[in-house]
Amino acid sequence: MNSKNRLVSLKWPAALLACAWATVCLAAPAVTTPVSPPTEAAPAAPAAPAAPADAAAGDPPPATSDVKTLDQEVQSAKKDVIDLNKDLFVLEEELLFPANTQVAVFLSMDVGTFFALDSVTIKIDNKEVANYLYTAREADALLKGGVHRIYLGNQKVGKHELVAFFTGKGPVDRDYRRGATLVFDKGVGAKYLELKITDKVPKHQPEFSVKDWE
Amino acid sequence: MATTGSSATRAAVPSLLDKDAPDFVLKGLDGKNLRLSEYRGQVVLVNFWARWAGDSRKEMPALDRINKTYARAGLVVLGVSVDDDERRAGEFADSMRVSYPILFDTGETVGRDYSVQKMPMTVLVDRAGIVRYQNVGFKRGDEDAYLDKVRELLRE
Repeated sequence: MNSKNRLVSLKWPAALLACAWATVCLAAPAVTTPVSPPTEAAPAAPAAPAAPADAAAGDPPPATSDVKTLDQEVQSAKKDVIDLNKDLFVLEEELLFPANTQVAVFLSMDVGTFFALDSVTIKIDNKEVANYLYTAREADALLKGGVHRIYLGNQKVGKHELVAFFTGKGPVDRDYRRGATLVFDKGVGAKYLELKITDKVPKHQPEFSVKDWE
Repeated sequence: MATTGSSATRAAVPSLLDKDAPDFVLKGLDGKNLRLSEYRGQVVLVNFWARWAGDSRKEMPALDRINKTYARAGLVVLGVSVDDDERRAGEFADSMRVSYPILFDTGETVGRDYSVQKMPMTVLVDRAGIVRYQNVGFKRGDEDAYLDKVRELLRE
């Protein structure tokens, strides 16, 4: 509940920024567009016959350059918003998961000939902290080298036991459920752990391991 | 009325209309996991059903007809069972012989996210992942309402 509240409170500045950006974008054409017509309208008034020629010759260049400038401004504003969003995201994570308590668990897969991943359940100190069902697309992404952050949370400094359960289809399309355990020592810095699924070719079996990234 | 969902429905259930459809991943009858957000860009009809709900029995063949007609046009129909007993729900789904995927929400987490209080409940999600139609129960004429809304969303 608390973390949700914090999330909400962190998200409102992002919304404000987005609004501010939208206002800039909406306001920009209103400011820039009226600039060119009056300058061309002024000479057009006294000399009526010359006006169409002037307008025809003078109109397109400023209009295109205005559009270009506006487009560049919009692009740069978009980039700023993306950068700010990224900074806010990092800030949010730092606040919600401070380095001294942060534990992140990643999942990677290598080859996957002997195992089709279905789901992973993670328990830390006998308490279920994550349970993730993988779709075919997600499993494909993992096989192509993707890494999935399956858990990010806070744990006290000290020793903890992580147990990961992998379910899926093993060799010859059999239902397969295996576990991997690691006792890790949570220090003052962030702790990164990697669950690895690899193929054990000589045994024609998948292998599950947990790696502690120091 | 047909295109906006019944007002009685909206009064009874917290409305999801015009809000982001809560994402979910569930195991299907065929053993595959399906995630709603992977259908972004397509119109998705999510039907929550239970084998003990008589209206579900009437609604599923209608949804099957809609699925068969509009699947090629970009419609995805997902049937989500909220039964506790996955095996019996699976048997029921098999007996209905529907052509669309059947998923099991045995933990009832998805049903909670969608505020499912009465069975069946149908939700239409547009290509951008926004809930655009919500209907609780199934009565005569609802199939036409679904068709109208599906056609409208597919045109967008």
